[in-house]
Amino acid sequence: MQFMRNIPFALRLAGVVVVALVLTGVLYFFWGAHAQAAPPQPLPFPHKLMVGAGVQCLFCHSTATTGPAAGIPSVEKCAGCHQVIAANKPAIQTLLTKYWQPKQPIPWVRVNQLPRYVRFAHNVHVNSGINCERCHGNVGQMNEDYQVVRMNMGWCLSCNDQQPNIRQLQDCSICHY
Amino acid sequence: MPRKISRRTFFKTGAAVAAASVLAGCEQYTRYVTIEPYVVPPEEQLTGIPTYYASTCRMCPAGCGIIVRVMNGRALKIEGNPEHPLNRGKLCARGQAGLQLLYNPDRVRGPLAQAKRGSGALGANPLPWDQAIDELARQLQAAGNKLAIWVGPATSGHLLDLFGRIAKAAGAPAPVVYAPGSEGQQMLISTSQRVFGRSAMPAYEISRADVVLSFSADILGTEQSPTRYGIEYGNFRTQAKGLRGHLIQFETRQSITGSKADNWYPIRPGTDGLVALAIARLMVDQPGVPADRVGRARTMAGSFNVDDAIKAADVPMEALVNAAQVFGAAQHPVAIPGAALAQTPNGADAMAAVQMLNVVAGTAGQPGGLLLDADLPSPAPVRTAVSPFADVQNLLNNLRGGGVQMLMIYGFNPAHELPASLGLADALNKVAFVVSFGSLEDETALQANLVLPDRTYLESWGYSVVSPNFGTPIVSSQQPVVSATVAIPAVDARATGDVLLTAAKRAPALAGAFTWNDEVAFIKDTITQLPAGAAGGSGADLLWSRFQQHGGWWPASAAPAAVNATTGAAPTLNAPQYQGSATEFPYLLQVYESTLLGRGEGANLPWLQGSPDPMTTIAWQSWVEINPETAQKLGVSYGDVVRVTSPNGSIEAPVYVYPVIRPDAIGLHLGQGHAHFGRYADNRGANATALLGPTPDNWATVRVKVERTGQRVNQSKFEWTEGVNQGFTTDVIPGSAIGG
Repeated sequence: MQFMRNIPFALRLAGVVVVALVLTGVLYFFWGAHAQAAPPQPLPFPHKLMVGAGVQCLFCHSTATTGPAAGIPSVEKCAGCHQVIAANKPAIQTLLTKYWQPKQPIPWVRVNQLPRYVRFAHNVHVNSGINCERCHGNVGQMNEDYQVVRMNMGWCLSCNDQQPNIRQLQDCSICHY
Repeated sequence: MPRKISRRTFFKTGAAVAAASVLAGCEQYTRYVTIEPYVVPPEEQLTGIPTYYASTCRMCPAGCGIIVRVMNGRALKIEGNPEHPLNRGKLCARGQAGLQLLYNPDRVRGPLAQAKRGSGALGANPLPWDQAIDELARQLQAAGNKLAIWVGPATSGHLLDLFGRIAKAAGAPAPVVYAPGSEGQQMLISTSQRVFGRSAMPAYEISRADVVLSFSADILGTEQSPTRYGIEYGNFRTQAKGLRGHLIQFETRQSITGSKADNWYPIRPGTDGLVALAIARLMVDQPGVPADRVGRARTMAGSFNVDDAIKAADVPMEALVNAAQVFGAAQHPVAIPGAALAQTPNGADAMAAVQMLNVVAGTAGQPGGLLLDADLPSPAPVRTAVSPFADVQNLLNNLRGGGVQMLMIYGFNPAHELPASLGLADALNKVAFVVSFGSLEDETALQANLVLPDRTYLESWGYSVVSPNFGTPIVSSQQPVVSATVAIPAVDARATGDVLLTAAKRAPALAGAFTWNDEVAFIKDTITQLPAGAAGGSGADLLWSRFQQHGGWWPASAAPAAVNATTGAAPTLNAPQYQGSATEFPYLLQVYESTLLGRGEGANLPWLQGSPDPMTTIAWQSWVEINPETAQKLGVSYGDVVRVTSPNGSIEAPVYVYPVIRPDAIGLHLGQGHAHFGRYADNRGANATALLGPTPDNWATVRVKVERTGQRVNQSKFEWTEGVNQGFTTDVIPGSAIGG
């Protein structure tokens, strides 16, 4: 490190920081969306309990077969059941008093991340027979939701490449538009 | 001396920074994006799929058709409706900005009341709707026939109808439909009656005209239907076989239309009629003018002395000869009187003189000429019938005389838009109870006892009988594109139609007059009286749904109504008398409606405030237009604040050196100078109405003086014109400096 002696300390430190920032950027770019720990949510929401009680995915995520987004249930829908069911539980009390009564939306934190600049349509996938679990994991066993797969392009193609209409599915503008 | 860093320290620091960066990189920012679900979801909305609704724009009275893109129950974009025969898919900046009316943070959240008007206690007294409607009903009952109603011209037909029915049921005078500028609309219609024998709004099919002679008509800016005229103008300039229309404009200050003219002639205000007569007189002698036109021109203005026009208008003879030659020899020439002529003392005669040029040209009722509004096959849909100004004066006298106990004001902000010299504030003091229906708290709402916020046009039902309709009868439909409670849950506004119907049912004196449960039933009843239109359908339900789906009703095809154009002698016109003495007030004032802010109704929308004025490129500010020659004489330049004083009042605003205004004139726009109209409008610029007198017939012919105040402000403009103003450089304008 003889050569560094001639460089001022501040400049050397700046160099280290620049290298680190570049590294960060590179990692950030390639890392993309990936499996992550469960993010904190405004209300505890154990899917395990709901699925265990026999609630179907489509009961709450009702537009998964009809639209591009599976849909997050409205506060009205939550309150529709929970004004009666488990209404005395503290979390349900929070739901009713903090959100439903003052008519405020619940600020859920997004769990499943797609990379930016790509579009995904739930309806075409669900309607072609792909289970929710195929991408979202065994949500029915989760107390706190987390993302189970890195939803990057390689992962998309690993499945789409197996399809008979591969030529259409490989068209960039199918997802990037 | 440089500090030493060991190899070990270097690696340690580097590794620590890299590790921290990697950890930070794991946390995508999208991680913390929240997904907010609906509280109550709108029906038939799919997340990720937009819905499009056809409706009618209410940002001005024209009645253009719009298509609104709605995503998840929120209106995201407004565009023109391509099916609509008036605007054919186009929309202006004001129409686009309607979204900011819907989402305006200064919307009134619910009914408000104050016992003492102007006390500022309005915001402190929110009222539940039921109680507010009870109060309205009680006051309606108590007022009896001492009820007055004042409505703005951009009001839905069904509300005009409802207000009219309430007035009738109460035995009170019919509602006054007026806002400043409406007198022009009214005069255009009465001039049609005078010249063509039919009381109808004129329009000009300039797309097929080869010469347009415009008299202070800012058709591309603020004249009756600017979006349609924009389409017409585009076609006027690019006709078949490479033909390009020729536009000649006479006006005092250059408007956006004037800036596009092939020949632009600055004339003194109020002399348009004289110029029109001079052109008719000169056509008699010009070569190339067909004999029939010469004959009609002789009948119209054979004995007119052209020198009178030259002297009064201060226009060169060559200008008039050029106009007469070009107009006289053209195949499809058309002459357009500006609605602004109504703001001059001889306006009615001047307007008639200009319309007679269309008779002389022989193009009235012909393709490429003047068209009169086509009538609807049913009288049920209510057309906006603007009241003459005499009705406004009667109303104000009634208010002053204590003949009115209750005043309802809808769709208009008189406290800002009317000149102070009319004495509205004093007149309102004599009224026991004032009700305002504004969605936004404006200067008028401050003077009200009860504020019953209406929904904006994007949340409410209605229709508009389009006028001018360019020969095709149109009833444009208005429907809610968003659910008021979903799009803006914080605002609890109610449709005025429903409020009126409910209140009328609770007031015993009015209850019998209304059978409808809500305004939708009322509108449906009206609309389904029309026969099947271009959208087809039979039966009330189908007609009604097609009306909503396509954005209105219009016939599959329409032939323009015939225009009865008989030549007569033109009225005798005198040079106008200007208000104020020429020695004390040396300059002629030109107050004009802002292309973006209108008379001030658009001032609370940041998109409109932030859009540069098309002529000066100034945004967010007021300015005084002064000719470079005059600016030099006064020793002022860009940004110098001047005091403009007329016999009626004075205002202060910074100078904009404007080469395209007469040296003896001063230009001022309307729209700014609000005292109470929301955060984007308040205390911004000056309200030019302070300079105007109590009657509109001299609003365009007021004299003013201009004094320096010694202050300077920075002008927020997008383009610098210093040095490029046709020979006027910063060198010859004293006090001017780059950065002004």
